[in-house]
Amino acid sequence: MSRERGRSVPKRLLLLVPAVVLLAHRPAAAATLSLREGVPEIDVHGFVSQGFLLTTANDYLADSSRGSFEFSEVGLNFTVPATDRLRMGVQLFSRRLGSDGDYRAALDWYYLDYRWQDWLGVRAGRVKLPFGLYNDTSDTDSARTAVLLPQSIYPTRNRDFLLAQTGVEIYGFTSLGSAGGLDYRLYGGTIFLDVKPQPGSPLTVLDLEVPFVAGARVLWGPPIDGLRLGGSLQALRLDTDLLAPGASAPITVKIPATLWVASVEYAVRDLLVAAEYSRWLVEAQSSNPAVIPGGSAVSERAYALVTYRTRPWLQAGAYYSLLFPDVEHRTGREAVQHDVALTLRFDVNAYWLIKVEGHYMHGTGGLSSTLNGNRPLSSLVPDWALFVLKTTAHF
Amino acid sequence: MRIAALILVSLAAAGAPTEPSRSSYVVIVHPETPVSRLDRKFVADAFLRRKTRWPDDRPIRPVDLGPDSPARARFSRETLALSVASVRNYWQQRIFSGQELPPPELDDEAVVSYVLSHPGALGYVVAGTRLKGAKVVDVN
Repeated sequence: MSRERGRSVPKRLLLLVPAVVLLAHRPAAAATLSLREGVPEIDVHGFVSQGFLLTTANDYLADSSRGSFEFSEVGLNFTVPATDRLRMGVQLFSRRLGSDGDYRAALDWYYLDYRWQDWLGVRAGRVKLPFGLYNDTSDTDSARTAVLLPQSIYPTRNRDFLLAQTGVEIYGFTSLGSAGGLDYRLYGGTIFLDVKPQPGSPLTVLDLEVPFVAGARVLWGPPIDGLRLGGSLQALRLDTDLLAPGASAPITVKIPATLWVASVEYAVRDLLVAAEYSRWLVEAQSSNPAVIPGGSAVSERAYALVTYRTRPWLQAGAYYSLLFPDVEHRTGREAVQHDVALTLRFDVNAYWLIKVEGHYMHGTGGLSSTLNGNRPLSSLVPDWALFVLKTTAHF
Repeated sequence: MRIAALILVSLAAAGAPTEPSRSSYVVIVHPETPVSRLDRKFVADAFLRRKTRWPDDRPIRPVDLGPDSPARARFSRETLALSVASVRNYWQQRIFSGQELPPPELDDEAVVSYVLSHPGALGYVVAGTRLKGAKVVDVN
């Protein structure tokens, strides 16, 4: 009985997403479009997620203090293995998270992938950024235990900046014999950003662009099952033209940033243990320092997590995440964000899951002033809790 | 505190073992594949699509058993060092980040047919399955 080959799929693929994941009674992970003989089959995968956020104080990611359902994601991807070396793929993605996203479908990623040898492949297009262990999979709720990845290193609200780049990636995997294997990815390109209104902000964003983003990730798998050690480095520059209140001319601000993260993961059978440590250097170079001053800051980010699957349908997870937005200023509620999270994941069946998650938060360094009525972070409630409920259907 | 208590209660209620009883399996390849013995790590890398080519540059075409097969549970545990559910998570990550696609999942007889009809194929079936000429390889 084939799981994924040779099945025909109706034409209304968008309608098919919820229908297949909710109604199908097979252990499926994909649908396949069978076209004319001689034409490669198309692999189709998708997901639909709906979440709920509630905080005891402060607004986090959305208007969460009143409870918010503005936490929705839909994705649908198509992959065509044209030859044994060449593949093409595209994913449509739409989301809403508080004020981010507007439910419009956008191309999340698309690529041409030529894998010449195991040690050398090239992808061109819009490609997910391999930063740390999980950045390139941070949209994929079904691939992890937690609803929210540790926000110190994988900030959901920075998704537009950190998730994908348009350009080229060189990747490969090479065996090191008795020393294990090496997985590597190098990339360079740009990030296209939409100028979005910033409600409540005194500045008007006239233009926003990323002239370059480049980086690399190397993961070493030593000869111990499930162990991965690695590092990622990313450099980018954000250029923006801003209009300040009362100013006659726009102010150009260039924001170069350098990010690195060190990673370790041990995943064997049903156990996953991971930890990462990261520092981000962000500078600001202003054409009018009198109005918008320049400067730089180094943020420090780290987490440790553990998950365990006790049954195929039940996983539990916990993590501690720490963020210092500026390592030179570590005192005060606004200078730190401690986050202790506990999650239960229930796989109702092979294509539908429900997650329940609780966070105890100390500090306000991970909050957005804009989301909290432009109040200074130092005035927000320092000890608060977040409750998250999310369900995802996928195939 | 209530959530922590809920987790503990759920874990206690769920008990220990995560998978059903396991049955033995044999690893098979297309009859023209010039190997008789494979390293376990090579097989794992091939099934997780880290390695995609045989030493003679022919593409490796891994083929899996369905997720409910007891032989799949044993193969995943012994060869991939992962549970079947963890392998599913691995593929979710790869699929939705635009990387690799998982091997097709078939039943035992269909795996044999697939291996016989696809040069470079690599699969496994429950021991005792009629192999119809598929070549058995040792894995160490």
